Amino acid sequence: MAPHICQLCNTSRAQILRPKNHARICAPCFIDIFEREIAETITSTNLFQPGERIAIGASGGKDSTVLASVLKTLNDRHAWGLDLVLLSIDEGITGYRDHSLDAVKRNSVEYDLPLKIVSYEELYGWSMDQVVAQIGKKGNCTYCGVFRRQALDRGAAMLGVGHVVTGHNADDVAETVLMNLLRGDLPRLGRATSILTSTPSATMSRKETEADGGEVTITNVKRSKPLMYAYEKEIVMYAHYKKLDYFSTECIYSPEAFRGSARTLIKNLERIRPESILDVVRSGIDMAKLVPNAEGHPKGAAEAVIRNEVEDEAEGGCGGSNAKEVVSEMAQMEQKLRQDEQAEEAGTETEIKLPSKVLDGQRHDRDLKPDLPPEAALTTYVQGQNHDRHSQTDGQQLPSDIRTVPIRTKQEKKSSRKATRDAPVPKQRLGQCERCGYLSSQAVCKACMLLEGLNKARPRTGIEVG
Amino acid sequence: MPGRQRADVVVDRNLCRRCQVNEPTITVRTEPLCAACFGKYVSTKIVKRMESFRVRHAGAGNERLLLLPLSLGPCSMTLLHVLSQHLTVQAEKSGRTGYRLHVLHVDDREREDATALMESVKQRYPEHVYSTRLLSDALQLEGINELLDADTDNSDALSTILGRLNSATSRDDMLQILLRKLVVDVAKQQSREAIIWGDSTTRLAERTLAETAKGRGFTLPSVMSDGASPHGVPFYYPMRDLLSKEIVAFASQLDPSLDAMIRVDKAKPAVSTKNTTIDDLMRQYFESVEREYPSIVANVVRTTSKLQAVLLEEVERQCELCDAPLQGHSPERSRLCYGCIRILPHAIE
Repeated sequence: MAPHICQLCNTSRAQILRPKNHARICAPCFIDIFEREIAETITSTNLFQPGERIAIGASGGKDSTVLASVLKTLNDRHAWGLDLVLLSIDEGITGYRDHSLDAVKRNSVEYDLPLKIVSYEELYGWSMDQVVAQIGKKGNCTYCGVFRRQALDRGAAMLGVGHVVTGHNADDVAETVLMNLLRGDLPRLGRATSILTSTPSATMSRKETEADGGEVTITNVKRSKPLMYAYEKEIVMYAHYKKLDYFSTECIYSPEAFRGSARTLIKNLERIRPESILDVVRSGIDMAKLVPNAEGHPKGAAEAVIRNEVEDEAEGGCGGSNAKEVVSEMAQMEQKLRQDEQAEEAGTETEIKLPSKVLDGQRHDRDLKPDLPPEAALTTYVQGQNHDRHSQTDGQQLPSDIRTVPIRTKQEKKSSRKATRDAPVPKQRLGQCERCGYLSSQAVCKACMLLEGLNKARPRTGIEVG
Repeated sequence: MPGRQRADVVVDRNLCRRCQVNEPTITVRTEPLCAACFGKYVSTKIVKRMESFRVRHAGAGNERLLLLPLSLGPCSMTLLHVLSQHLTVQAEKSGRTGYRLHVLHVDDREREDATALMESVKQRYPEHVYSTRLLSDALQLEGINELLDADTDNSDALSTILGRLNSATSRDDMLQILLRKLVVDVAKQQSREAIIWGDSTTRLAERTLAETAKGRGFTLPSVMSDGASPHGVPFYYPMRDLLSKEIVAFASQLDPSLDAMIRVDKAKPAVSTKNTTIDDLMRQYFESVEREYPSIVANVVRTTSKLQAVLLEEVERQCELCDAPLQGHSPERSRLCYGCIRILPHAIE
């Protein structure tokens, strides 16, 4: 059988069957078209401003490595004038992050990009090793997750960078779309499918930011995902053909959790029809436009979707594996939904608990969103240990939003109220943490709360760890 | 003010949760129910959704005719049964009914016993209007003929067209679209007031994910809600609050059971093969979810219904194949939506 000829250049032999659409092409054409498609994504969405400072969330994994390589290439090729810097987060877990950080360091040298490693210790005064020494192995995942969420934003602010890019790929976004459909989480659907997300202050108060001398604070960091339309398989292929250096970390998903389910569905869909991954993304983007806002009107296409810190759950994993201790997410949700159904039928009010402290390492923060009808509120559990892109660069699973809400400095009292099944997708009150100014719907953000607890118990003499 | 507390009732777990008299025969969500109470549970859920067709809304002799597409599967059979009963009760109570049923069977020529099954249905429920159409009739519909380049003189035209499609998923999708178009056409031609579909919660959840995976996510709120649809005839899904497994159990326990009349589909392989379709995948998926987490299945459907459908008045152009509103959901000047372009990539050239 005669070998196939590349469908793009019609000259070389086709070595590659492209995962995205089964086109037969040669390796150089693949590299070229991969880069061109990302360039197209970036230019068509006006993702970057000329000369902008961009921090690349770098975990050392394949997505962020490819992201760094492609951005560097495109930046040089098209003279975008971007000021690129690699930003890596070190949780301070001895023996865990070391390998991937080494990969990032090598990337920094290879692509000639400055690297900033920000440690939890630097950001919060506590490394994970120290946290574990303090509170033991139960509940440490919560700390790690909460800290990770803010780490990228805080790290960027430390560098004076207002825009962070992460390596989220099409498979990630598709998974998240399916996951949020399964969980019934409409607001997050919007955030997951937006290529650019922002914090309210970034969109609203440009004048104020300029007045302050354009200082970047942690409340006005933009986040984007240039690889959003790139297939995971193609990213791996690109890294292979360009011989990129990365450290592949495993992703462990607890089997019955929503993301694990969604991931399996995506993988099966890809086998049946490879285009379906992008079709899911497209459907997600379209459906997000149909999510009603508080007034009941559809949002319409929003340019920059607004994130909410409290929405970002600890989906990233941590060093310790608590998979067995974690109750199945789906079973939890099932139980909650049933209780709500029964309560509704019985005509009693659905229970809304007041904010509780972190008790057994699990968040009982359902009520951070008091307006949510119970079905939509999610108790979040540290789900699987996700060491790759979901942990390091983006502990924030996909930033959130719904609509522009004025920033309040005082927190409104939560009243318990009867949530009806047909309640419109509710408002979320965004405010700022009193201590650090980070976005929060509480008076004091989660990280500050946890830190307060840690600091109180900290012995006066320093503890040497390790 | 603390919420009203439900009075603590002592419940005998060995008896039906509702009547506390009979022994339970089935567990629905968390409640053990006896056959009688379960039967009532199912019927009530369906009849509740038929509120807009109550007796007082119809003049005598002037009853609206509703089209009920009967696939001879457990869901549509159960729907027919429950609605037949409902009509009988309406007639007993007030001497007339709020609506009448026109039962339509679309024959896809896949089963030889379809005709025999339809006969037994007619015998059991003689009070309705019945008709049967061939699925291949859909090829003669305006627009479809030309779009699919169908040779209507050829009796195998449908197989030919399906044969040109590039995957099992595309074929499955096309069949579903043709079926729906034909049913809508019958409803329009004969001025039926609405189409009453038998989709269960499970089926609606499957469709939610399947259509999302095919790129038609934006159509979901319009096609799955009760009431006006972009097809030009209102759609209703009165079985939307019942799970497939509940419906199957109900059909079995009826006396005489409906099982004899229900056609059993060939078992599909459990493992994903080359011929697995996207719909198969979602069906398998929700079959397993339905077992352990039924409320999650219901939640998926509920969530989707919260999305706001495009206002029908604002729809300018529709996909020529599936009737989905086009604005923004198709390439420029395309006659098809993204989902349909997948099936017919050549049609847009």
